[in-house]
Amino acid sequence: MTSMVETGGVNRLPDSFGRLIDRKRRVAFSFEGREIEGFAGDTIAAALAANDQWVLSRSFKYRRPRGILTMAGQDSNTLVQIGAEPNVLADRRIIEPALGVMGQNYDGSLEADRGNVIELFGRFLPVGFYYKTFYKRGSWKFWEKIIRGRAGLGKVDLAAHHGYFDKQYLFADVAVVGGGPAGLSAALQAAEAGAEVILIDEWPALGGSLCYARLGREGDAAFNLAEKLAAQVKAKGNIHVLSDATCTGWFADNWLAIVKGSRFYKLRARSVVMATGSLEQPAVFRNNDLPGVMQGTAAQRLIRLYGVRPGRKAVVLAANDDAYGVALDLGDAGCEVQAVVDLREQVPETAMVHATRGRGVPILAGYAVTEAIPGTAKLGILGAAAARIAREGETDGAAAVFECDLLCMSTGYSPAGQILHHAGTKFTYDHAANMFQPAILPPHVFAAGSVNGTYAMEAVLAEGRRIGWAAAQDAGFARGTEPPAVTGDRGSFGQTHAWPIFPHKAGKDFVDFDEDLQVKDLVNGIADGYDDIELLKRYSTVGMGPSQGRHSAVAAVRVLAKETATDLATLSVTTQRPPYVPEKFGHLAGRVFEPERHTAMHHRHHELGARMMVAGLWYRPAFYGKPEDRDQAIREEVQAVRSNVGLIDVSTLGGLDIRGPDAAEFLNRLYTFTYAKQPVGRSRYVLMCDQTGAIIDDGVACRIHDEHFYVTATTSGVDGVYRLMLQWNAQWRLDVDVANVTAAYAGVNIAGPRAREVLAKVCHDVDLGPEAFPYMGVRLGSVAGIPARLLRVGFVGELGYEIHAPASQGEALWDALMAAGGTAGIRPFGVEAQRVLRLEKGHIIIGQDTDGLTHPFEADMAWAIAKNKAYFMGGRSIAIQTARPLTRKLVGFTLEDPSAPVPEECHLTVRNGEITGRVTSAVRSPTLDRVIGLAYVAPDQAAEGANFDIKIAGGRLIKGRVVKLPFYDPETKRQEM
Amino acid sequence: MAAIEPHAQLRRSFVYRKLRDLGARFETVNSGAVAIDFGKAAAEMETANLLGLADLSPLPRTGFKGAGAVEWLQSQGLQIGAESNRGYRQPGGELALRLAPSEIFLIDSLAGSGALIERLNQAWSWGSEKPRKLIGYPMPRADSHAWFALSGRAAPEMFAKICGIDLRLDKFEGGRIAQTSIAKMSGIILRQDQGATPVFHLLADSASADYLWEALLDAMAEFGGAPVGLSALRGLA
Amino acid sequence: MKIMNCPLNGPRNISEFVWGGEVKEMPSGPEVSPRDWAGYVFIENNIAGVVREWWCHVPTSFWFIAERNTVSDEVIRTYPASEVFNRRVEFAAPAKGETK
Repeated sequence: MTSMVETGGVNRLPDSFGRLIDRKRRVAFSFEGREIEGFAGDTIAAALAANDQWVLSRSFKYRRPRGILTMAGQDSNTLVQIGAEPNVLADRRIIEPALGVMGQNYDGSLEADRGNVIELFGRFLPVGFYYKTFYKRGSWKFWEKIIRGRAGLGKVDLAAHHGYFDKQYLFADVAVVGGGPAGLSAALQAAEAGAEVILIDEWPALGGSLCYARLGREGDAAFNLAEKLAAQVKAKGNIHVLSDATCTGWFADNWLAIVKGSRFYKLRARSVVMATGSLEQPAVFRNNDLPGVMQGTAAQRLIRLYGVRPGRKAVVLAANDDAYGVALDLGDAGCEVQAVVDLREQVPETAMVHATRGRGVPILAGYAVTEAIPGTAKLGILGAAAARIAREGETDGAAAVFECDLLCMSTGYSPAGQILHHAGTKFTYDHAANMFQPAILPPHVFAAGSVNGTYAMEAVLAEGRRIGWAAAQDAGFARGTEPPAVTGDRGSFGQTHAWPIFPHKAGKDFVDFDEDLQVKDLVNGIADGYDDIELLKRYSTVGMGPSQGRHSAVAAVRVLAKETATDLATLSVTTQRPPYVPEKFGHLAGRVFEPERHTAMHHRHHELGARMMVAGLWYRPAFYGKPEDRDQAIREEVQAVRSNVGLIDVSTLGGLDIRGPDAAEFLNRLYTFTYAKQPVGRSRYVLMCDQTGAIIDDGVACRIHDEHFYVTATTSGVDGVYRLMLQWNAQWRLDVDVANVTAAYAGVNIAGPRAREVLAKVCHDVDLGPEAFPYMGVRLGSVAGIPARLLRVGFVGELGYEIHAPASQGEALWDALMAAGGTAGIRPFGVEAQRVLRLEKGHIIIGQDTDGLTHPFEADMAWAIAKNKAYFMGGRSIAIQTARPLTRKLVGFTLEDPSAPVPEECHLTVRNGEITGRVTSAVRSPTLDRVIGLAYVAPDQAAEGANFDIKIAGGRLIKGRVVKLPFYDPETKRQEM
Repeated sequence: MAAIEPHAQLRRSFVYRKLRDLGARFETVNSGAVAIDFGKAAAEMETANLLGLADLSPLPRTGFKGAGAVEWLQSQGLQIGAESNRGYRQPGGELALRLAPSEIFLIDSLAGSGALIERLNQAWSWGSEKPRKLIGYPMPRADSHAWFALSGRAAPEMFAKICGIDLRLDKFEGGRIAQTSIAKMSGIILRQDQGATPVFHLLADSASADYLWEALLDAMAEFGGAPVGLSALRGLA
Repeated sequence: MKIMNCPLNGPRNISEFVWGGEVKEMPSGPEVSPRDWAGYVFIENNIAGVVREWWCHVPTSFWFIAERNTVSDEVIRTYPASEVFNRRVEFAAPAKGETK
């Protein structure tokens, strides 16, 4: 024998095998710390098999050794851990240099797991274990540690670095899922008809089963057909092939989710052809889960795709003609076939059967494998026992034991209809074919090939062409001639055995490998009363593991039908939902687009050392200074405004231009106040309530022209207000235009006793004098050469000007004002100081001092409600509510005990143990040197001087006293200077 | 024209710091400082043909909307077709984007003289007639929206990473507009090729310009896309 | 993802839209009983069948009406709101001296 290095493993076959590997490129990686060498193109499982490593992982519940089952990434036997990445499919992941691969679900070592002893206690883990155990008090306490230690698949590395994942849209007239013979011919025909086609295929090479199976053809005929079709597809300019890509789900209006590497595609197609093929189904017998027992197609994939001999001596469990193709392939690969055990009483004498016989392989017709004989520590098998079938699911007579290390199962298929299921396809059981088949397809969704129950190769190709045409036509393309409909035998009969299930009295006859469920578990579950497939699934967990019932759903429903004596045709498999295969969070998250909005002065704030805070998408300065100096910085900013001059960026305030002959009428309908007689050049408070009467926004309306109001809204409220305005005017049809100009205007508020003096240095075209430009006045002018809307408003309660200027010039405006205020010692202030300043003035913040139910009378804002308007939003609700007694009232308060701690927002106000309200804002006022706040209290506690209790953290009660608002400058003279 | 500082003018690009950090040279166009190139004119032309991102934010633009806006603009000599979500090219190279039956977003030609836009902004007034004739209302489009141009053959595929509209060249012909979601923000895409090179103008929230610029560069990276100056874009014609 | 056909912008992913409630007539005037008013404010009919709903295309803030079958989630037709709301709506001024 040649050395391992030259051959790429002891089980590596000659050059004529292995279509996906490149023997010129060796790749070394490690498995369980041991160095393994394979070839480029090998999957982990293939390279390990080539090196005689058959155990890949341990099962979830009993920790039984598991190995290759499908070689198609369809089962959980091959889940391995690669560094920080758990649950990697070893039979799909291509090996790379230095890849460090570890098995999963064991204590100690993969081949000698201490946890496997649990199998001995299997009878203490009955079906429905959780249901039967945890209703008892205290039982969780006993089991928790054991379960936590063993639950979960693989290991999560919390320190794992983030990968780069992203998403992309794709568009197609026709999408074809599956690159087998049906999909290839459908894609070709749709492209012929003129459609732009995207073909999605999971594998590196097109062809599907043609690449590894014989499909009734001699030698390489199937593969040659694959190459021919693939070449035709590649030659078509209007077919875009996505290889190594898995369609994980169908969503409304033909929107397909596709995972390819670290990219997640979202494909929108006019019509979709599902040519997803079928999944070979395991037979059920004792020890059918052990390494060495695999599907016939898995053995063929090992041989043809990777050039790996799947065993030395084999038994084939058969129920269709493909099994004989497996037997022939095994023979070609140098594996001695001991026997074909055929479940069928009558074996048709096909060419394949004839050829198998011709090689001297004994064929046992009407026999079943009753068990696989385990080797040491169940790490493989030593043989297979076969006995004559007496009746459905039962054998009698002495079992013949065949020595083998490989047992291939080729007893039938089930359509890979998961994605068709997502689209709402109904499947019904066909007793003639012993399979579920798609019965009713939704509009714009088509199926071709074995997923549609079509197996005979000529029929598959013809159906592909026919369906490709139909899909193109559905998408609006009809070039060329319509291919004929497929009639006659489509080859679905004789593919699948009706009852490949042979329960063993000693058990370990697995229906579900993911969840280690044996036949008796399902039988017991049904006996427990869970006799509907959806109930049985949840009770027994059948089909709930990583492979989502791909190999257990049909067997489970067969068992259910038998146990309940129900016709299978009246049953269905459990509902299939996306994703078809696991998607990583990284795929779903993609690049995580999180828009940020920056004001024009954003970078200036950073340069000034601002700590930023988030308001919706906006970033705003909280305060200027180091985090550890926060309180000091806020205090100084407050003092600067009260005693000198401060500058705050208010660009994030919403701005709406309301223009047109009906502008005032429009505001009358949306806001509580009245605006018809508001003079040009003046602003007026606006309060918006929703139709339930709850306060939702506020601001000021500046009348710039008879037909033009510039209305401000809260930072987080403006988008909703704008949308609401448009929706209402779509109904009222007033002659008014609404524009959201929030981003177009940068804004600053220059506030403090010296605000006028500073502004006057850079504003020469507006008379800033108190008479010419009084409180609540509005002027158009320019500041430092920048056109501006100037508003005298008083949120912070000092002389102040709000200046709104074009955003592109906002930074220049900021610079000019900071420069103008230099000698006066102007100080930028942030949102935190502004919150203190406004609280000192008793102004509420919508959303902080109000909640989703606050109506204006509760917030003491009856003054803002017009009395004689025909209509305003929420008006009727407010009228109804105010006719009833108030249940709470927002009041200003201070603390009786000046040394008591500052209550926090949402601390409760209580009376005799009953909740009466809550604190909404509270702060120690730097200006007044005492705690001030706003709180909801009972109406009879709302009078000035009344006391109420506040329950602060830790449950302590402190006394609040109601104080008349505002706390600061009660005569409101300072802002009107 | 002499190179200037990006903040030499009162009007500044929303992303001028990013451009400056990438080595842009700025020139005054109209009253704004535009990144004219990054000092590699020939390479930028090549990039612009493959996948280039240019910041046109300092160039003039305006808008008018509301009852009477389109009729008034037509009376001012603008050529505006009936279909919404189309861009209509003016004789001076300006583009009138009809966003809705009564909404026009007007962007200047790459020369950026601003002549037409200035004239319209000056011409609009409330007037003194009673009842007033409705002529729409001006919109502060130079400030509400940042203006980027994405050029080159890889642009549609790049857009497919951030936007759900099919912008493939044979599906989204010149002059078409999509108002849609781009990297999770609302924006306007107009295709208006320069010579044989596909160009997509992108107009989106000016306050999100920093974010959008980075999102675009990230999406462009795999195609070899990069920022280009205005002169590269002009050179495509 | 579902597609919604916007009368202004054409077919778009439904993620570009927000739902704005059922189209319903607002009872107006002070004579509306609290019960009727509460019915208008709080109750969506939510029938099993075809309903008329407000939808807004967010990138353009364009409101329109969609007829949707709540059983099949099929959008049957979309059209501009002006098809239904084609006249200026006026509210009667309250009688002199009346206070709500």
